Amino acid sequence: MYALQKVDKKFPGVHALKAIDFQVGRGEIVGLVGENGAGKSTLMKVIYGAYQPDGGQILVDGKSVRFANPRQAMERGIGMVFQEQSLIANLTVMENIFLGYEQQFVRWGVINWREMAEAARHQLAKVKLDIDPATVTSSLSFAQRQLVELAKVLTLEERVEGHLVILLDEPTSVLSSEEVQLLFRLIRELTARASFIFVSHRMDEVMEISDRIYVLKDGQVVDVVSRGGSSAETIQHKMVGRNVNKEYYREQRQKPFDSSRTLVELDGVSLPGRVTDISLKLHAGEVLCIVGTEGSGREAILRTIYGMRTPVEGRVLIKGQEVTSFSPRTAASLGVGYVPRERKIEGIVAGMSVYENMTLSQLGRHSSGGVLKLAEEKALARDWIKRLSIKAHSEHADCGNLSGGNQQKVVLAKWRSGGSDIMLLDHPTRGLDIGAKEDVYEMIRDMSDAAVGIVLVADTLEEAIGLAHTIIVVKDGRIQKTFGATSGVKPTPFDLLHHMI
Amino acid sequence: MTFETIKPHLPWITLLALVAVVGVMNDNFLRPANLLGMAAEIVPLFIMALGLTFVIYIGSIDLSAQSMANMITVIASVYLVTLGPWVALLCAVAGFGLGMLSGYVTTRLLVPSFISTLAVGGVAFSLAQWLSGQRALYMDAAQRNETFGWMIGTTASIPNELLIALALLLIALFVERRTTLGRALKAVGAGELAATASGLNVARVKMLAFAISGMLAALAGLLFAVKLSGGAPTIANGFLLPAIVAVLVGGTPLTGGVGGVVNTAIGVLIVAVIRSSMVYFGIDATQQQMVFGLVLIAAIALTIDRAKLRTVK
Repeated sequence: MYALQKVDKKFPGVHALKAIDFQVGRGEIVGLVGENGAGKSTLMKVIYGAYQPDGGQILVDGKSVRFANPRQAMERGIGMVFQEQSLIANLTVMENIFLGYEQQFVRWGVINWREMAEAARHQLAKVKLDIDPATVTSSLSFAQRQLVELAKVLTLEERVEGHLVILLDEPTSVLSSEEVQLLFRLIRELTARASFIFVSHRMDEVMEISDRIYVLKDGQVVDVVSRGGSSAETIQHKMVGRNVNKEYYREQRQKPFDSSRTLVELDGVSLPGRVTDISLKLHAGEVLCIVGTEGSGREAILRTIYGMRTPVEGRVLIKGQEVTSFSPRTAASLGVGYVPRERKIEGIVAGMSVYENMTLSQLGRHSSGGVLKLAEEKALARDWIKRLSIKAHSEHADCGNLSGGNQQKVVLAKWRSGGSDIMLLDHPTRGLDIGAKEDVYEMIRDMSDAAVGIVLVADTLEEAIGLAHTIIVVKDGRIQKTFGATSGVKPTPFDLLHHMI
Repeated sequence: MTFETIKPHLPWITLLALVAVVGVMNDNFLRPANLLGMAAEIVPLFIMALGLTFVIYIGSIDLSAQSMANMITVIASVYLVTLGPWVALLCAVAGFGLGMLSGYVTTRLLVPSFISTLAVGGVAFSLAQWLSGQRALYMDAAQRNETFGWMIGTTASIPNELLIALALLLIALFVERRTTLGRALKAVGAGELAATASGLNVARVKMLAFAISGMLAALAGLLFAVKLSGGAPTIANGFLLPAIVAVLVGGTPLTGGVGGVVNTAIGVLIVAVIRSSMVYFGIDATQQQMVFGLVLIAAIALTIDRAKLRTVK
């Protein structure tokens, strides 16, 4: 009933979707999996009308359609439940549900609230949520908000004739396992009225709920798996497109670290919010991976070491020195480097050249009396461009115009050229293509050889396992378990997952 | 060739086009004496715009510049008698200090810069009223000539004001291109979060930008007071709008990160040409701010980087 035929989407420098064929049958639940950067989110945006394909066509009930915006897609019964929740926190539940569609309740220019509340209650009943529609959204739990999102999309039932297609983007990432089961039961019941496209990182969940699974890699559908037709491992293979072997993560280059030198020590650190009682040690040459679900506190731990968050309890020691004033400036001066997840926002300054970006964290070292030594800066940049084989026409190239992988190399060079020996890497391979990822893995091993201590929040569990000496599993802001992960004794993704959820 | 590729060159193209148009319509305009006079006339405005550039470059705004200049004309007129040449130092320190205050309020108390500087401007204006007793003050002509006469003299038939402007431009250019402060300002303007994540002391950088703006507004006020040989709490009214227009038409957008002091020099010349052409076209002085208001809107609409704005409030 909903189908994509040979859909293509290009962005400057990226062929994001390549001739995608995709179908959703009536009442079907279709899973969509793929690594970060495989094209999942682009595909979703095409489906719900935020992007227009460059080639191919979209068919609804066999008829070719073109959506200029999400609203037009909604009018044809295609709705999206957003991962980063789209509800406006200071509006009531009913105002959110009918946002943009209040006209139906308006009499003489005034909204009839009682009528809206009644209609909202009807929608909430569909998702079995028993709350007052006049509740302010910010006072709901995450799980409740997720259901309100779903109820909001289900208003399409009354507005649109025919069957619905509902996209669920990582709907379970903030839910507990009981809440996940409730949501799944609800989805199954709703298949009488709607088809679902379920996007998740959690392979076990996708396999549990989906009738068919589309496996996406590098902008192409590499396989369509029917229920029970394949094991999780096979699907994962197809997602990655190769055996996730030891070589990929440069495991043969993993050497034992120097446990006599502690670079960073957290001792009973608690942060405002969820993160509680975190203790860990990072040694010279060690790769320490923190794994956990989104919002488990992984990033907060990194940011604490970098001084961007201030603990309410506990001690942070960097090279044996207790940190008393928490700021990136202090951390950077102690030799801590931070490669943030949002590369384009926090990693590089677009509009500044490669050399200006590389020396940004160490202006003091390349100046005297506040006057910059430009020649020295440029020489340093040229040296690192060569060392990391950064593809840029010169040190004057605008960093904003480099590819993601090269931008990441600039960020790494920024810290390494300044002699940072504690590196905090937050999703360093996010959105990079395979070749660029392997470059990053190579650099991680190089840094370990140079006795740099690395705290890593990896993009995938496989990546964490492949790269780490030590893995710490966090859940709800607490350390659940610590695994040794040196070559030969590496845990499996399942071992980790077990403690994550 | 798209608009985006022409955009960086728009300011000087605009300037040349304006000069050509006005030059054709009025033979007198292109005479060197006229051009020099026109340029000298605009110097106080240029100095103020130069300071504003630093604040706009980091994506903030300084609405206190005009009140600051007003206050300084009063301070200069009142204290010239007792302090002599040292009054210049007092003016600079006052400007720097009040600018620093705006910066402190913006970065530490997290008050948006248009409010913090509006408030500090109010303080400065009120100080001027209080100090002057709401009267126009006059400097002693002999003392003015003795102490600051060199500012408004000529050297080899070039007005000294222009030389002052050139010197300040060169210093500002050096700060912008060759110092750690200039680099930090660029980073804050183009990507504040990345600057923070690189360990820069962003708050200090921002405060210094406001302080520089305050100090240059004070110097603009001082020069203006010397030119007019006196001061009053409203004497520099009408400066703020053209100064902001100059920075923006010069090519430093409100979103910051690109442009710079050279752009502002071009922008000020554009303002100067517009201003003198209005005289030729017989536009009344009272109507000039209307023109500048419209030019400001057009300049912002053309130059602003909409990719950097999520919402406009």
